[in-house]
Amino acid sequence: MTRRARLGDAGVVLAAAATLVFLLYPAAVIFSGSLQTNETLFSRSHFAFTWGNYRRIFAAGFGTYLANSLLICLAATLGATMVSVMAAYAFSRRRFRGRRVLLAVVLAGQWFPWIVLVTPLFILFARSGLTNSYGGMILCYTAISIPFSVYLLLGYLETVPRELDEAAIVDGCTPLGALWHVVLPVMLPGVVAAATYAFLLCWTEYLLALALLTQPSMKTIPLGLYQFFGEDTTDWGAVMAGSAVATLPALVLFLPLQRWLVSGLTAGSVKQ
Amino acid sequence: MLLIRRRVLRSDAGFLVLMLAPSLLILAAFYLYPLASSVWFSLTDLSLLRLRRGGDYIGVRNYVDALGEAEFWRVVWNTAFWLTAVSVAVRLVLGIALALLLNSPALLRWRLRTPLRFALLVPWATPPIVAVAVWRWLLDPQAGSIDRALLWLGLVRHPVAFLAETATVWPAIVLILVWNTLPVAALTLLAALQSVPHDLREAAALDGAGSIRTFRHVTLPHIMPTVMILAMLMSFWTFNNFVYVWLATGAGPGRYTDVLATEVYLRGFVDFNLGSSAAVGVIMAATMATFGLLYLRVLWRGAPP
Repeated sequence: MTRRARLGDAGVVLAAAATLVFLLYPAAVIFSGSLQTNETLFSRSHFAFTWGNYRRIFAAGFGTYLANSLLICLAATLGATMVSVMAAYAFSRRRFRGRRVLLAVVLAGQWFPWIVLVTPLFILFARSGLTNSYGGMILCYTAISIPFSVYLLLGYLETVPRELDEAAIVDGCTPLGALWHVVLPVMLPGVVAAATYAFLLCWTEYLLALALLTQPSMKTIPLGLYQFFGEDTTDWGAVMAGSAVATLPALVLFLPLQRWLVSGLTAGSVKQ
Repeated sequence: MLLIRRRVLRSDAGFLVLMLAPSLLILAAFYLYPLASSVWFSLTDLSLLRLRRGGDYIGVRNYVDALGEAEFWRVVWNTAFWLTAVSVAVRLVLGIALALLLNSPALLRWRLRTPLRFALLVPWATPPIVAVAVWRWLLDPQAGSIDRALLWLGLVRHPVAFLAETATVWPAIVLILVWNTLPVAALTLLAALQSVPHDLREAAALDGAGSIRTFRHVTLPHIMPTVMILAMLMSFWTFNNFVYVWLATGAGPGRYTDVLATEVYLRGFVDFNLGSSAAVGVIMAATMATFGLLYLRVLWRGAPP
């Protein structure tokens, strides 16, 4: 190996090491911090292992928040993915008047500032008794997930040959049957990717939950996490434990699905 | 055969309605209705304290007032420059660098490609709310490791309260944002990089082009469409974002890091002025709609899907 190549290799290894530290250190801090007492969290010298932070947050209602988050997010993911598959299929396979405008309206949800939804939905929910209800929150999260799901699925559907469903229809399948039996199995990676993104979107949503869920018993994880930040003092041990609980499900979803998630993003954005 | 196909594709209006109605109805209820009522609120003096009574129509006064305030334009600048332009530029540059690093043969030789790929998933999977929480800890002047490291290196004499000082607060917010969202950029760009035909780069190298020239004249033009789309997507996601600024600084110190999303919130839920809050929100939505149309033009260049 020449001197130059060796220098190049050293540079690459150094850059990779620095990047690894930058990417992983904050996460390592969360998990190690969640397992220490608040006293040792502030000192470098020793590490006192404890499950106390987790016990404390679950005693403070984190179990309820976890259950609320799971229920709301899973239901919204299921709903959003179902209706998005249907809409994306119609947009992809049918040509009809007003198609481009309707599609633009659906996709526009992606760049619509959610903050604009807060006041009107707050008032609408208060008037119709949907504040602090699972149903209202599930519908709301379904709505915010649809635009990006349709966008992703549309990208995927473009890679599924039209001849496939056309052949099924000619063979006597109903249009719905063609979607269900022929197209859906082929585009399953896309559906899984869209569902994962939808789940993560809902799982981490803070703003709308803040406005529409005011009862402690209805709170979701993001709201629960930020109640440990006080005006003057912050219970850092609890913050770390809550952070770990909020991050783990996402990590568990990402590890096996990573390739589909990346290719899904590019399938939707790059038309080659 | 062609005729049958045409009829199958075009005749079934009922099927079309069945497939589109659920999404469109939900979107109408949760986007169009709130947008319409925001437009109405923005033309009134509606107050959070007199919600039941409703507001009185006051024309475009909320817009005139907002657009006339120097403070409003400072908030626009914060949003457009610091929150969006700087963070998107940093993510694109670092994203390309990281994608090149991941794609380099040396990394593969040292068996670091797979660890690095998996490490990228960690910040990506971290919810923004958690990213802000942990960086608030890392940037904390009493407990944070960053101040400790800087003190140890002798780069600072006293701990810096990064999120509370005007000189450092924006770079600190951008740092949190970049840590959390760099992986999406890097992995998307890596996928684009890997689609560059190998013989194209080889041909350039044979013609005597150095690695920098190959990158500029072969690789970069090839990944440019992805860079453009990614830049626009990231701009949308960031411009509208509420949580990074709100949870990191609460728009502070003072209202120094106030951005449009937090401004809408502050006007409505801290100042109780829902009318003027809605006006700022409508301005935001209109700005985004303009950029969105531009985006669709790029995405659908000539050939809509």
